[in-house]
Amino acid sequence: MGTLTGTGILARHILRRDRLILPLWGFLSAVYPMSIANSTVALYPTADLLRPVAQEAMANPAQLATRGVVFDAGAGGMTAWTVGSSGAMLMGLVSMLLVIRHTRVDEESGRSELIGSGVVGRQAPPAAALGVVCSVNLLIGALMSVLLMGTGLPAAGSLALGLALAAAGCTFAAVGAVAAQVTESAVSARGLGVSVFIAFFLIRAVGDASGAHWLSWLSPLGWTLNVRPFAGERWWVAALLLAFIALLAVAAHMLSARRDLAAGLLPPRLGPAAAAPGLRSPLALAWRLHRGQVVAWTAGFAVAGLTLGGAVSGNLEGQLNSPQIMDMIARVGGEDARPADFFLNFLLSMLAWIVATSGMLSALRLRSEESAGRADLVLVTPVSRVRWALSHLVVALAGPALVLAALGVTAGLGYSLTSGDIGKLPQVLAGALAYLPAVWVMTGIAAALAGLLPRFAMAAWGIWVGFILIDVFGMLGQVNANLLEIIPFVHIPWVLLGQMSPAPLAVLTAVAAALTAAGVAGLRRRDLVA
Amino acid sequence: MTNAISVSGLVKTFGRTRALDGLDLTVGTGEVLGFLGPNGAGKSTTIRILLGLMRADSGKASLLGGDPWADATDLHRRLAYVPGDVTLWPTLSGGEVIDLLGRLRGGIDPQRRATLLERFELDPRKKGRAYSKGNRQKVALVAAFASDVELLILDEPTSGLDPLMEAVFRDSVAEEKARGRTVLLSSHILSEVEALCDRVSIIRAGRIVETGTLAELRHLTRTSVTAELAQTPDGLNGLPGVHDLSVVGNKVTCQVEPAHLDALFGRLTALGLRNVTAAPPTLEDLFMRHYRTAQPGGQRRNQVA
Repeated sequence: MGTLTGTGILARHILRRDRLILPLWGFLSAVYPMSIANSTVALYPTADLLRPVAQEAMANPAQLATRGVVFDAGAGGMTAWTVGSSGAMLMGLVSMLLVIRHTRVDEESGRSELIGSGVVGRQAPPAAALGVVCSVNLLIGALMSVLLMGTGLPAAGSLALGLALAAAGCTFAAVGAVAAQVTESAVSARGLGVSVFIAFFLIRAVGDASGAHWLSWLSPLGWTLNVRPFAGERWWVAALLLAFIALLAVAAHMLSARRDLAAGLLPPRLGPAAAAPGLRSPLALAWRLHRGQVVAWTAGFAVAGLTLGGAVSGNLEGQLNSPQIMDMIARVGGEDARPADFFLNFLLSMLAWIVATSGMLSALRLRSEESAGRADLVLVTPVSRVRWALSHLVVALAGPALVLAALGVTAGLGYSLTSGDIGKLPQVLAGALAYLPAVWVMTGIAAALAGLLPRFAMAAWGIWVGFILIDVFGMLGQVNANLLEIIPFVHIPWVLLGQMSPAPLAVLTAVAAALTAAGVAGLRRRDLVA
Repeated sequence: MTNAISVSGLVKTFGRTRALDGLDLTVGTGEVLGFLGPNGAGKSTTIRILLGLMRADSGKASLLGGDPWADATDLHRRLAYVPGDVTLWPTLSGGEVIDLLGRLRGGIDPQRRATLLERFELDPRKKGRAYSKGNRQKVALVAAFASDVELLILDEPTSGLDPLMEAVFRDSVAEEKARGRTVLLSSHILSEVEALCDRVSIIRAGRIVETGTLAELRHLTRTSVTAELAQTPDGLNGLPGVHDLSVVGNKVTCQVEPAHLDALFGRLTALGLRNVTAAPPTLEDLFMRHYRTAQPGGQRRNQVA
């Protein structure tokens, strides 16, 4: 029996299991660039109208950090710039999670043993998962290109954008395949994969925002943007991406041949023979389970805050003499708003979306503990369901507070050190912490779903993505203003621009509390289900 | 004798599946009850209701004198539970899990913990993800046996244990019984139940179809008899209470009802007995008798464990 025997059967099995998620994700991803292209043309019909937007983007470190450099100020170039980074994230993260789902998750749950004992080679599962996900990425890329051409954009650029985003998806599918081989649990595989994505994102973000563009060339997310669709396509950069994907795929393939089923590459370390005296309550258990994530996120955002805070303050004053930019800032922040304040707050507003996921991850732990049967072990001791749920939710609510505080302090520090104005730190901290109620609402949504609709708990991620899409299209003026109101993040005052409105913060906190309470109440009344 | 567990008319449905269909069950205090049935008969559903993890649609259940749903937290102080498929936290060591669960139940006897670890040959330093299935099972067993509780609820606790450990498990249950504890042991390993249990309840399609001591259950069923005689027998046909008679040469085999044993042996002795074996029905015979026949109402077996 060859080591790849049965890959085809497994591939069909994956297609069947994901027959809903694959078309949905593919459709959203493929339509996204086309709708941005249409919006761009509708909003800025002439090149003269587009040019100031491009100039503002090139001068704005926050825009440079999140979306990268504008290579061409035309409709195509601006479309590529708008969707390049977010599209790579949408394609990359979903691809990575899908590959991990069909490799390490299956192995952990023992499904692979069932399959592995059949006529299936040991290297078939990663090959099948990677094969299916990469094929779907290529299909999405092709559809994307066709739809873009349909809007009247040039064929070469359309092809390049589709190819670049498909390659980004395949790259992180391959990262997921390697992570699944190296780690021993699905949680750590996802953790490793997402950390690699965030690291690549930050390398490119710092490179583009600080002008040290060589840094961007150290990240495949930088390569994706540097294919430069609609701006004199550089096909060799796409070839570079393909080579990287091939390298990772070969690595995953070789790793899977060398280890035992269910084992990781690194041998497991022994733990203590007895529990520390403090491990005696559900809360202590919850902290023990979440602390790795909380510490890693806090450290990661501290580094991000320091770099981005410094970059915003250092780069700006000289570059921002265009009247359009000053105009826009004045519109949002008033006549005497400082550009650096505006851009730093803009960055905080973006990062808050990511911080929200840490709270959601912790809240959804309620569901994964329940479905794995670990909740039973605790709940058959004299621990009530409410106490058990609150132990996880306390961490889910306090964790993001710690992350935002770290972000606020370090961003304030970086900003103050570069500008020499140390008095700015408390304001930046307040600006970051202002996002806490919105983050809590997202945590509350996850908690409510886990408590009330356990089988649909993962829909919390759908809501998060939905809010992002509404927000993106809202910025382009394509969304009804009332719909925009449902996004918790849009209600947060921009403290760095002197906005002080405690009312929305109180309302959002109340909403978060109500959602959390509903989740706990739901959990109290229902059967626990695997 | 008061009852530690008393259940009557319990019904639980999942969608269109009727997992429990009017289940009655009692476990006396200090008794070891074997809860027998194949996968999907409703054993685990019953146990999850008794543990307050699920709520019954109708029927009454009382556990240690309380309501398993409403008084769950208080009742859990007095019981320990071992599931059939233990999942542990991947990053916690076995020792940490044992201590944590023990402390949540109000303390753990360190002496007994050490004895049990040694007896089950369990390395408490390994992380949850590094244990094999059998070792995960041992972690839960040690945590349960080391805690000071009145009632042990064990749901197929020995799945994944090797025969040596299975013997250790039997010793431990016998010890618990000697200390006056009540045990509800759900199993489909008949020898285990036969060795440990005072009484047996057999569940099928969400209902108890047979309950009693092994002696009582055996009394209801036929003994199989094999005899070699001095001469070719005749006149055995048509004896009351004798079934499945077969005669080959001088050799006779048949099944006989308990009330008619003496009549049969009287006749066999008269024919000149040379050799005889009379085997009481095994638990397996009892069990198979209930499961070999068609399902009541012709419905398919429920697929809910």
